[in-house]
Amino acid sequence: MTALMWTVLALVPPLIFALYFLKLRRQPLEVPSTYLWKKTIEDLHVNSLWQRLRNSLLLLLQLLLALLLILACINPGCEGETLSGDRLIFLIDNSASMSATDVEGSDSRLDDAKKQIGNLIDRMDEGAVGMLISFSDSAVPVQSYTTNHSILKSRLNEIEQTQHSTDINEALVAASGLANPGRTSDRESAVDIQVADALEATIFIYSDGGVREVPAFSFGEKLFAEYHPVGGAEIPDNVGITAFSISDQADSDTQVQAYARIQNSSDEDQSVDLSLYVDDQLLDARAAVTIRKESSIGLQFDLTGVVDNMSGPVPVRLEIENDDVYKQDNSGYAVLNPPRLPNVLVITDYNRYLEMVCNDELGRFDFQPESFIEDDRYLKDAQLGTWDLIIYDRCVPETMPVANTVFIGAIPPVEGWSAEEKRAPTSILDINAGHPVMSAVQMGNVDILDSQPLAGPEGADSLMDSVDGTIIMIAPRGGFQDLVLGFSLIEIDPSGSPVSNTNWPIRLSFPLFFQNVVTELGGSSAFAASRGASPGTLVRLKSKVPYDSVTVTGPDGTNTSLKPGDDSTFMFAQTEQCGIYTVREPGGTVDHLFPVNLFDRRESDLKVRDTLDLGYEEMESSESQMKPVTKDFWPWFVGFALVVLVIEWYIYNKRVFI
Amino acid sequence: MAKSQSTKTLSASGKEEDGPLLSPALLAQLERMELVSRKIFRGRMKGERRSKRKGQSVEFADFRNYVPGDDLRFIDWNMYARLDKLFLKLFLEEEDLHFYALVDSSLSMTFGSPSKFRYAKQLAGALGYIGLCRADRVKIEALDGSKVNKAPVLRGRTSMWRMVEHLEAMKAGSTATLNEAVRSFCLRNTGKGILVIITDLMDKTGYESALRYLTAQNMDVYLIHVLSQEEIDPEITGDLRLVDCEDSDIAEISVSQRLIDRYRQTLASFIEKARDFASRRGIVYMMTSTERPVDRLVSRYLRQRGLVR
Repeated sequence: MTALMWTVLALVPPLIFALYFLKLRRQPLEVPSTYLWKKTIEDLHVNSLWQRLRNSLLLLLQLLLALLLILACINPGCEGETLSGDRLIFLIDNSASMSATDVEGSDSRLDDAKKQIGNLIDRMDEGAVGMLISFSDSAVPVQSYTTNHSILKSRLNEIEQTQHSTDINEALVAASGLANPGRTSDRESAVDIQVADALEATIFIYSDGGVREVPAFSFGEKLFAEYHPVGGAEIPDNVGITAFSISDQADSDTQVQAYARIQNSSDEDQSVDLSLYVDDQLLDARAAVTIRKESSIGLQFDLTGVVDNMSGPVPVRLEIENDDVYKQDNSGYAVLNPPRLPNVLVITDYNRYLEMVCNDELGRFDFQPESFIEDDRYLKDAQLGTWDLIIYDRCVPETMPVANTVFIGAIPPVEGWSAEEKRAPTSILDINAGHPVMSAVQMGNVDILDSQPLAGPEGADSLMDSVDGTIIMIAPRGGFQDLVLGFSLIEIDPSGSPVSNTNWPIRLSFPLFFQNVVTELGGSSAFAASRGASPGTLVRLKSKVPYDSVTVTGPDGTNTSLKPGDDSTFMFAQTEQCGIYTVREPGGTVDHLFPVNLFDRRESDLKVRDTLDLGYEEMESSESQMKPVTKDFWPWFVGFALVVLVIEWYIYNKRVFI
Repeated sequence: MAKSQSTKTLSASGKEEDGPLLSPALLAQLERMELVSRKIFRGRMKGERRSKRKGQSVEFADFRNYVPGDDLRFIDWNMYARLDKLFLKLFLEEEDLHFYALVDSSLSMTFGSPSKFRYAKQLAGALGYIGLCRADRVKIEALDGSKVNKAPVLRGRTSMWRMVEHLEAMKAGSTATLNEAVRSFCLRNTGKGILVIITDLMDKTGYESALRYLTAQNMDVYLIHVLSQEEIDPEITGDLRLVDCEDSDIAEISVSQRLIDRYRQTLASFIEKARDFASRRGIVYMMTSTERPVDRLVSRYLRQRGLVR
């Protein structure tokens, strides 16, 4: 601006001031006495200059208005920085390790990451679009592309800490897909439409770097990425439980032990105190357990005494008593559920070999004659799922039961199953030893007289092949499995006497096979929810007896009611928290417990990685690229001046004050 | 400060100014009343007023024993005949009453519709007429600071026309302060009686000294504070320069609701202060608006205050 313009601007306030006093022409009015009026305005002193100014709100507002407009004309501004790039994607790690409290000035690493991203959002250009994706073991698009930076920040603050492990691959794929959606589908016409050409976008990854390996990912030409490590400057001292389990009671008759693995991820030797709680009562403790730097040790705890006195499911918890920056791996959970024997119904008119191998230690067996198939109790209980496994020996039900089945010398009444004509003595060619049912089963010395080659429905697995074809086959049926033996163990000759069809029952492999069948198909393994799950995973629960519903109580006390699926199991997905979950039957009695643990060595290792290995490329930590900008304030001044103008207009019309 | 031609006045007086000062209806109403004094004064002449003094009226008061020297004319001979003892029969003495009405004639009294001055004259005339009807000694004087007795002393109903003429002849425009005018009156009139001062109290030098003079006279003083409706509830707007009609003093105001509210507070406090000052000195205070008819003021409010009955 020229000197003349400055002078004109400078003259505006005095001009308003002068005009104000010049324009004030009061109407004279004769009154009986000014005595009372004088007393009235005594305090106000309207005639004194200062008081007049004080009460002349309109004058002050006019001066303020002029000042604001002058400031707007001067066009003040400040030098600032703004993020380069118009399309920005923020990936924020909210996995378990981000809850570490080793960052000064922030509650956690996640909090620090949020602050950093918040600062970046503040520096985004007005027209720049931003996207927000959070990732742990899966990616969640928190906010798709938007130019509304306040929404972006508000969604950023809504991101919550998870207790999951970290897998960045899905987030990267999602980011690259969402960054430049090449095509979009029109739902109504089912036609893919080519959208705009790919545009450049920048991905900002905020993580501590403890991510699973990315098999192969390439950003391509239009995508640029920056990695910003989040975490304290030094490697924090952290000792965590990376494994905690209880030996299978079925494996050992005498001893039940809990195994734990303790990891020290810091660069110094650490010494910690450990306590083992059973049913919230301290059972065992180890003081000053020393773990060498960047290594781990194994610990064992004897729980035999607990099992002997156990009347129901018991929670077991291992605690590291020392405080550190990462709390989640300081607890490990396991449960001791009472051994559960499968309910097996065996329908046979006569089969002494089966009677021989069915002992009470393997399961609860119920032998019934063939006529039982038409019994009301069978018809009802078979549809209720009372039995875990039903063995049909040379007989076939009308409809398939709600249970796993074994058919010996018979074909299930299910579409897809068929058998060829009976063949003369056959020899066994091969067995599918990889299948758990055939585990450790050796058939070399087994002879079979009559057999029928089998053909199963889609998805069927051959377990044993003879020279004539498959003679043992297993196939899924909904949530169940049907195992079919194409030969019988015993035949009844025309005179009514039993005749052996194979020498298998007298071989060692038969009881092994039968034990595998009962263990696998009897549901003993399906009951292994006690093995535990990882946070966020789906858990399949099976109650001791079929219920219409069960209630699962989480570690925080929240209750979830579940309805059974077709196979009488319950699917539970709310496993966000680590801890012990309690499954209750409708009556409220505890059915069983199951633990949820993270047990991720990568999460427990709190070292902040400077580089991020993304398969094809390795990313190093970098600073965000900023470009200098001048921030103008004149729109603020003009806006404020408008507000002042409105207030002045209101006061002038309403005469609010003197 | 010279008044400019464009200067407006707070209220144009003139309405009802041309009518008779005392209407026949009012006069008829007043004839039945009489002035009452809270103090008993010794009159100079016999009037129609009972006195505490025992005297020679027809109204019996009491008996007392005869003592030598008593006027034999008052001995009750009937009692003497019956009881053979001399008793003196006492009668109430009837006296006249001095009634003074002082009308503020300052310029500020010319405001209002009807003007406060006319209202004051009407009131003074009404009260004076009551006095005349009861053969009291009536004197109505304008508070103009005059050093000589201009006002006639009136007695008897026949003096009504002289009183009205005197009132009509009174003009507002006195420049004397209330204090000076009252002082002048007190110097000239030392008698006792009822005194009614009718004023708007709008005197910047204050009204306190004037009222003190009056109380020192040992008179039965009534203060009637007359204000016009425009003073009680001013309906003015805009940026104004208020010009005092008496001393041309200026007060500049910008009217707002806040200012009007504050003015009302000031007026209420002014009235309260005057009432308090008067009541502390045995002066009966009464505030009235010119909107209130004189006949109602006399027949209701002044009767309640005990000035008339």
